[in-house]
Amino acid sequence: MTAVEAAADLELRGQLSRLNALLVLAMLMTESSDEQQIIRLGASAAPSFAACRLVGVFTHDGDTTVWTPGDDEIAAPPAILDLPTDGGAVEIPGSTWAWAYSLGGISTSIGHMVVAASHEIDRDGHFLLRVLAQQIGTAIRNSRLHQFERTAAAELASVNAQLESTVQALAQRIEIHDRLTLAAVSGEGMEGIANAVHEVTGLPVIIEDRFGNLRAWAGPGDPPNFSKDPPARREQLLRRLLRESQSTWESGRVMRAASPRPDSVGVIALIDPDRTARNEDLAALEYGATILSMELARLRTVADTEVRVRRDLVEDLLAGTGGTAAVQRGEAFQHDLKLPHRVVVFEGRGRTRDDDQFFTAVRRAARDFGLGSLLVARSGTVVLLTDRDVVWEEVQTTVIRELAGGTCRIGVGGLTNGPDDFPTSHREAVLSLNLLNSRTGDRNVVAFEDLGVYRLLASTEDSREIEKFVEQWLGPLLEYDARRHSELVLTLYRYLECGGHYNETAEALLIHRSTLKYRLQRIRDVSKLSIGDADVNFNLQLACRAWSTLKALRSPGRP
Amino acid sequence: MEDSVNFGPSGMTVSVGDHVCAFYRTSAGRDEILVPYLQAGLERGDKCIAVLDQADPAEVRSQLRDGIDQEPADENDQLAILCSKDSYLRDGQFSKPAMLDFWNVAVGDSMRESKYQFARSVGEMTWALRQLPGVEDLVEYEAELNTFLPQYPQVIVCLYDLDQFDGRVVVDLLRTHPKILLCGTLLDNPYYLEPHEFLASRAPAPA
Repeated sequence: MTAVEAAADLELRGQLSRLNALLVLAMLMTESSDEQQIIRLGASAAPSFAACRLVGVFTHDGDTTVWTPGDDEIAAPPAILDLPTDGGAVEIPGSTWAWAYSLGGISTSIGHMVVAASHEIDRDGHFLLRVLAQQIGTAIRNSRLHQFERTAAAELASVNAQLESTVQALAQRIEIHDRLTLAAVSGEGMEGIANAVHEVTGLPVIIEDRFGNLRAWAGPGDPPNFSKDPPARREQLLRRLLRESQSTWESGRVMRAASPRPDSVGVIALIDPDRTARNEDLAALEYGATILSMELARLRTVADTEVRVRRDLVEDLLAGTGGTAAVQRGEAFQHDLKLPHRVVVFEGRGRTRDDDQFFTAVRRAARDFGLGSLLVARSGTVVLLTDRDVVWEEVQTTVIRELAGGTCRIGVGGLTNGPDDFPTSHREAVLSLNLLNSRTGDRNVVAFEDLGVYRLLASTEDSREIEKFVEQWLGPLLEYDARRHSELVLTLYRYLECGGHYNETAEALLIHRSTLKYRLQRIRDVSKLSIGDADVNFNLQLACRAWSTLKALRSPGRP
Repeated sequence: MEDSVNFGPSGMTVSVGDHVCAFYRTSAGRDEILVPYLQAGLERGDKCIAVLDQADPAEVRSQLRDGIDQEPADENDQLAILCSKDSYLRDGQFSKPAMLDFWNVAVGDSMRESKYQFARSVGEMTWALRQLPGVEDLVEYEAELNTFLPQYPQVIVCLYDLDQFDGRVVVDLLRTHPKILLCGTLLDNPYYLEPHEFLASRAPAPA
């Protein structure tokens, strides 16, 4: 090989060596994910490919521009922003020649690498530096793409984490829901609901009625002794719970109200004085309140149904349409209707005109005396069917006490010999009550068996003979009363019932003694009868009682 | 004597007499090359010489013990771990002839009386980043090392931290090493330059 050939071979190997180095350098830059690292590694290699020095690298990313100077710390040339994307000559103080090489392709440049030299570099140097700049640009774009993907991946991971958290929360809520639903359908009642919420939250759970009475407890040991709030404060709390419709902290407890309807309210609470309950625990409490509402609605429906069925049975028995089926229906309420029963009619009122109040008072008195629960409200009265005999005056006193005042009168029917006798016993009770109302005195209770002649008169199947008897003895007086709107018959009736005593009679009639004397004279004049005659007196008294019985039988209270 | 030996990292093989320039980033990346390379040599029964600069010798020894099934019978003799100040920077400066002599002695002694059939050496080159006399001769030293390698059955690996060496040095290294290890791949470099070629082809310094 000649010297010239050797020199050419060396030149060729040198160029190939640089190209190879450039290729590997490109690989090293592409491997990096740090933009400044790429610029440092790539641009600092520029003097290895041509007789020049690095001035700096200008990059832009959107509106952000960065100038990375070389070792000489020269500022960015002002014209760098106005350069064409494929680069070109620039002016650098102290250098006779300087060039900006595009970082990337002609149309996709992301900046320039600026080099300077004392004279323009040769064609091979231009080529190598252009390729180097392109490779720097490619590596930077690759780095930015990776950065974008990493950011996107991080965002995706964050979204996934949030989603996972949401799914976990949802799974927990489903678990809570499933556990409480199980409690609801298993018929464990309020105890089951309290246990389920306690299991899920780990906190003690208490369920109370609207008055603050304990209905269920789940937790370690016995329930704590909470002093009940005064009624007004309790009502205020319930109103707040129902209005806010969310978990509310109060006195070391977090509470939710459950109210399927206005007259049915319960409260479920976590005992949590340190306020450690998490969101999931509050969610469990909310589900617990929902299930409690369902339970309260169920209990109320059962109670309503029982009342309705009981009322239907009583009505059928009083109407005489119950038949033998009524006996079986009675068994459902643990009543043996084949046993002798009485129909008892209560009439009265409390201090206020509230039928429900009177009904409730009678029901409680019946419960206290063990009279059973076959009772209905009917035409302003309360009708009770019972197989027990008690001292009815005591029952009456209890009702008055329950009413905290007011009035109560009781008519007690005769004993039945079977379900078909209930209408008769009812009629007797009503008759007794009506006769009681038409008579004076302190008595508030009358039993049909104690009516004496009234019972005899009321039991007569054909009342026409009685009516004739009344007409025979009281006809002129009745006709006079009808014509003059007077009360001669009633006056005579009271006079005879009072044994002919003027003062008692006047007092019973709420009239003056002289008025009584006047009326008695009118009675003698109109009837033309001598009241003092024993026979006449007896027949007049019987006729008056018959008149009273007929009036009672025809009164509105009659069944 | 075989033509190629297990290189270690990633199960690659190198040819006898190879001079490998291995690039890494981070100390963990360095150890992923250094430790398997020496482990392969210890397992083969090669003389192993490691000249470390920033790596902790005790840590390297510990990792080597963890990675091999059986501890060498005479580890202290088979494995020599030295510091850069005792080799490259002996006397507080870098001397190209002195360092080439160092390798000649270290490798030559191990081959004497056929004690070892093969030598694998590795140098952590971060010492060259210090502003000490002679370090500017680094690339020339690397080029001349190519003439030393054929003298013994051996392989030498030079470890360069890409985050610390600038592009100009890296390009010169790429032109002076016949094998390049980067990104876990061992690349042939058919256009590497012999020392005289490299010196002749270096671009003149800019004005």
